[in-house]
Amino acid sequence: MDDSTPPPPSAPADPSPPPPPTTSGSPTDFLKGVVGKRVVVRLTSGVDYRGILSCLDGYMNIALEQTEEHVNGRVTNQYGDAFIRGNNVLYISAAEPL
Amino acid sequence: MDPASNGIQEPFDLIRLSLSERVFVKLRGDRELTGVLHAYDGHMNLILSDVEETIMIVDQIEGAPEGHTTVNIAKRKMDMLFVRGDGVILVSPPSRT
Repeated sequence: MDDSTPPPPSAPADPSPPPPPTTSGSPTDFLKGVVGKRVVVRLTSGVDYRGILSCLDGYMNIALEQTEEHVNGRVTNQYGDAFIRGNNVLYISAAEPL
Repeated sequence: MDPASNGIQEPFDLIRLSLSERVFVKLRGDRELTGVLHAYDGHMNLILSDVEETIMIVDQIEGAPEGHTTVNIAKRKMDMLFVRGDGVILVSPPSRT
């Protein structure tokens, strides 16, 4: 009809509004939500630590319980408790539903 | 704060509870330490005694395919050691039972 305003190439015209995000809140809310849950902590070196997040602080120092160290998909170490210095952390991923 | 299962409210509590205990420390540069923890601070500077350092030396073999490496392990012992905090990756206390 109106050739002067073509629809955006990647977003077809959709009368319904975009679905709301399934979760909302700040990064801090996420971190509060995962305390006590199973998480994967990836360090900048690429090493993963899987365990239960005991707590963390403003530097992103992390205390983990029942920790497994994974390198290239293999378990290379296990720790009952582990303190990870925050500067090494790349991300914290929830490993179970929140 | 969240009442963690064993009275740990912040990560440094884990370290505080390990004073005078033998701890495992993972450092940058493929180094590991075990020693008795005497003191620490907010940088994770550490004072350890009766320390054994384990150094993993990874060598790429000449002409070998990519990723084909050998690991040599060197160990040494020190009576007393100051560890600068920025080298610390991980500290693990002895399992508390």
